[in-house]
Amino acid sequence: MNYFIFRNNTIERFFPKGYIFSGYDDISVIPDTADGYVWFFQLPVRINERTLCEEIRGYSEKLNLVLDQVASFKPMFLLTMDEFPSIPITSGVALKESISGYNISLFEAQKAHKNVYVLDIREFTHQYAENDLIDWKFWFISQMGLNPRLSKPFMDWFNRKLSQVSLKRKKCLVLDLDNTLWGGILGEDGINGIKLSGSYPGKAYHLFQETLKELCKNGIILTICSKNNEGEALDALDNNPFMILKKGDFSSWRINWKDKVTNIREIAEELNIGLDSMVFIDDNPSERELVRQVLPMVAVPEFPVQPYELPVFCKELVEQYFRVYSITVEDKNKNEQYRANALRTRSQRTFTDMESFLQSLNIHIRIETANEFNVPRIAQMTQKTNQFNLTTRRYSESDILSRLADGWEMYCMSVSDRFGDNGITGCILLNGYEIDSFLLSCRILGKGIESAFLKTVLTGLRDRGIQSVTAEFIPTAKNAQVAEFYDNCGFTVIEKKEDGTKAYSLDLTTADLNVKPYYSVIE
Amino acid sequence: MEEKILIIMKEVFGIEDIDETCSQRTCEKWDSMAHLNLVLELEDEFGISLEPEEIGIMTSFETVCQMVAKKAEK
Repeated sequence: MNYFIFRNNTIERFFPKGYIFSGYDDISVIPDTADGYVWFFQLPVRINERTLCEEIRGYSEKLNLVLDQVASFKPMFLLTMDEFPSIPITSGVALKESISGYNISLFEAQKAHKNVYVLDIREFTHQYAENDLIDWKFWFISQMGLNPRLSKPFMDWFNRKLSQVSLKRKKCLVLDLDNTLWGGILGEDGINGIKLSGSYPGKAYHLFQETLKELCKNGIILTICSKNNEGEALDALDNNPFMILKKGDFSSWRINWKDKVTNIREIAEELNIGLDSMVFIDDNPSERELVRQVLPMVAVPEFPVQPYELPVFCKELVEQYFRVYSITVEDKNKNEQYRANALRTRSQRTFTDMESFLQSLNIHIRIETANEFNVPRIAQMTQKTNQFNLTTRRYSESDILSRLADGWEMYCMSVSDRFGDNGITGCILLNGYEIDSFLLSCRILGKGIESAFLKTVLTGLRDRGIQSVTAEFIPTAKNAQVAEFYDNCGFTVIEKKEDGTKAYSLDLTTADLNVKPYYSVIE
Repeated sequence: MEEKILIIMKEVFGIEDIDETCSQRTCEKWDSMAHLNLVLELEDEFGISLEPEEIGIMTSFETVCQMVAKKAEK
């Protein structure tokens, strides 16, 4: 990444190689070749409080000047200002006010600009004592406003924040039950004997469950993998009066005496998600080790030995795997959808042929072009979709906006059926007559919707007099299932490379673009 | 110790062809940021704390070695 950083102190050591730095407190140069920008102004060292406050106010004004000039499709990260290093001679109240005024101006900039993200440095600095945050020796010899020995943890924090912004987070928690969701062992202590409320340690588990419930509300999928008797465990979930998490909060479970590796694999398959989007939580170190050894792509954090350590564990869990910049409505409904899918799988079994099953589903496909409401979702899908993704090109929200400005056409598809509304689960990005990206959420696969979507979009092009389109398949470790997709849709291969990449074209004047009658398509 | 210092300098400057004759004047990579990083690495490696005056005169491999040897003795 080629980021350009506006700054007022020496901070080179805190950022990866390849970043470019402005002069100190200098906004005269704003290179437009940068992929993005960072704004990192630290509290200057001034003894006079009034001058100091004025200087800080000046920073807000400079920031606004810069914001007016950077391209609105390039990301810009603003770091807040912390209250160190301060040498207060007067009361310090005015200083505190101007720092908070400056930070508020950052958050306002975030509200006003789609490409602006505030990263609150206090999340990082609050872990340290003020005397550890600055080493005055390095301030005087190099104008470093932050202790150079904190560069490594700072970089970890900064990178984590950046990856949250680009939505590279986990999707699913796989939870053990005994001594994880509650204290004690259900099989021995019974439904009312397990520790979940009242005094310690029950209180600690109660708080852990509350955290998980919040994550669930925010779209994280909860599942259970536990060595227990299924009936007994489900009974405890629904009938222990202190239980926060009920059976309905879990999208899938494997409560049995089989090994956890097999169970986790099955859960991933059932929910149609990758193992690398799962986090496994278990108090038993040997279970954790087994999963780490056999399924290294599953994240397995250490679990606290003492229940009173659970709050810190919760914080780290959220921070490391599930913190995300903005949560979309689709995320919140995802749990509903995964559950409805399980219901669909069950009802599928009663039909003898696929066609009559599909007919019975009452599928409605809505296709819309890109607009201000669906752009975040389009970006999110390009970031998160791995399996049904023909080219796996990742775009941020600002990438999407800049391509739309370049004249690309983008189509989003939402699907609903008699079991529920899946929201936006597919998109096609057209760069002229080239299908740049075609992707679908795995939640809706297996119903022929993918070709109905593509054919509808292509029909629209044909009706406008366009004669042919081109497309591409780029293989990845995860998208083997779509290797033949375009071939099956009647596209002609025009080039096949050694790495498996295929280029296609399709003659729209002769192509079969008929959509099966049981899909009702709304454009 | 001198060998260790040479290794640190290679790492900090990100170049392999450094010998005993290296100095801030002749080495392109030895800029002020590299100097700062070198000081931090030396302090951590040898458990010493270099004073600003000392940092200022450590402008060649030779003077770096002398300074580190002097500080490490104490």
